[in-house]
Amino acid sequence: MAFVGTSVVAGDAMVMSAQTATLPVRAVGGFFAMSLDTFVLMFKRPFAWREYVIQTWFVARVSVVPALMLTMPYSVLLVFTFNILLNEFGAVDFSGTGAAVGTVNQIGPIVTVLVVSGAGATAMCADLGARTIRDELDALRVMGINPIQALVVPRVLAATTVALALSATVIIVGLAGAFMFCVFIQNVSPGAFISGLTLLTGFGDVVVSLTKATLFGLAAGLIACYKGVYVDGGPAGVGNAVNETVVFTFMVLFAINVIVTAVGIQFTVS
Amino acid sequence: MSTGTPSRPLGRLRHVGEEFATSWNRIGGQARFYAETLAATPEAVTRYRTEFLRLIAQMGLGSGALAVVGGTVAIVGFLTMTTGALVAVQGYNQLASVGFEALTGFASAFFNVRLIVPGTTSVALSATIGAGATAQLGAMRINEEIDALEVIGIRSVAYLAATRVVAGVVVVIPLYCIAVMMAFLAARFGTTVIYGQGSGVYDHYFDTFLSPTDLIWSFFQCVAMTVVIMMVHTYYGFTASGGPAGVGEAVGRAVRTSMVVASVEIVMISLAVYGQTGNFNLAG
Repeated sequence: MAFVGTSVVAGDAMVMSAQTATLPVRAVGGFFAMSLDTFVLMFKRPFAWREYVIQTWFVARVSVVPALMLTMPYSVLLVFTFNILLNEFGAVDFSGTGAAVGTVNQIGPIVTVLVVSGAGATAMCADLGARTIRDELDALRVMGINPIQALVVPRVLAATTVALALSATVIIVGLAGAFMFCVFIQNVSPGAFISGLTLLTGFGDVVVSLTKATLFGLAAGLIACYKGVYVDGGPAGVGNAVNETVVFTFMVLFAINVIVTAVGIQFTVS
Repeated sequence: MSTGTPSRPLGRLRHVGEEFATSWNRIGGQARFYAETLAATPEAVTRYRTEFLRLIAQMGLGSGALAVVGGTVAIVGFLTMTTGALVAVQGYNQLASVGFEALTGFASAFFNVRLIVPGTTSVALSATIGAGATAQLGAMRINEEIDALEVIGIRSVAYLAATRVVAGVVVVIPLYCIAVMMAFLAARFGTTVIYGQGSGVYDHYFDTFLSPTDLIWSFFQCVAMTVVIMMVHTYYGFTASGGPAGVGEAVGRAVRTSMVVASVEIVMISLAVYGQTGNFNLAG
């Protein structure tokens, strides 16, 4: 082998650089392949009910408290900024309208994004990544169990369920926080606040908001599972995978938010 | 034959007390870590300058798969671009429904600076440089590299935590500029190009209501947030335990905690700065 040594090394270097160059492309391809597998296996029996319930409970448990803690400051900040404006116009009675528009259309879905990806997806990715590192997924494959069907499908559905339920909770809590702040601190009349809520915000906005939340949960679950299943490089690898999960879910979810808002607003604002 | 040991007196009460004491001690430990980190910042800049400069380069550009998509700069720019575009999408249409769409430029100047950019930047920072720091430090802790540093006589808090906090503050200055620019440009592009408002109308209201004082306060909000975010993230990395899964969990816990703390901080600073009067005049 000695006489071909240099050419082998050169060839290796070329293969290596080609691999580095195509890394993002192959990652995107792998992600879509896994998503497709997940969608196909979602309707194939047996469905992992037990894992689904356990995962839903797990995601809900890590998400609820951060969601409530995050909604309050953001909705207070929103009504505070909005009321400065309305005070200047002398229209502070409409603070309920501003609170409803901001909370239902933007704060609700965005806080759900932050919590689903920051709390739910990170925990999910850490859990799956640790299993991958310990070769537990390979062990499942050896036993003839498809890890996508047994682990990924219930997790993706759990994230979707929790995101939908969470966005409703976040909106209610956000509106309650806005009410408290406006009525008890900024002395807005409570009746005016309540009657202003539905002035611009209607059924259509709520449907768009819940649709967003469902899409967020689905996307966050898929990204977290992909990063968790294809993790490598020991403890540092799991940490990096979780970091990448947070960044990629934020980027994808913020992009989804703009697109769904732009599409939905065509139907809701006349 | 079974020899049961008698239970200790007041077992349940003692358990509750111990749990309370543990969480109390954790808060104390956290506070001490933050005090140590802040106290060590001068030392970090003067004595560990090479590490400090290396961290600035690494945080700005990101590492691994994040560097491939353009690093922290691109990520922060992209996130604020999407939220800035919301001003055009939601603001323009909502204002148009009550006949005020001319004021979209004002909405961009007002809401972007006071609400959207600080909020989005805090989230983006905790996801990128914050979570990255937790992942690195957690892996070091698991591999006992931090103990090794202590053994060879390097002050680990100054070398690892304080350098990261200061580097974060340095990196956030250009990042904030990019964030604000992207938010303004996205709002302007969406309103004038996509929804077809005259750019003169947009620019007039934007220029009239853009207040430099607000921008400076918004910038200080971001710097203050960075300090807190980096301290929370380095703490969780420093105290990671429990193998590979522990590092991942620490990253998740750090992201949740820092997002909540940063949002509370934004509200507090906003209430303190803008106050009851709002520091805002419709007359310009």
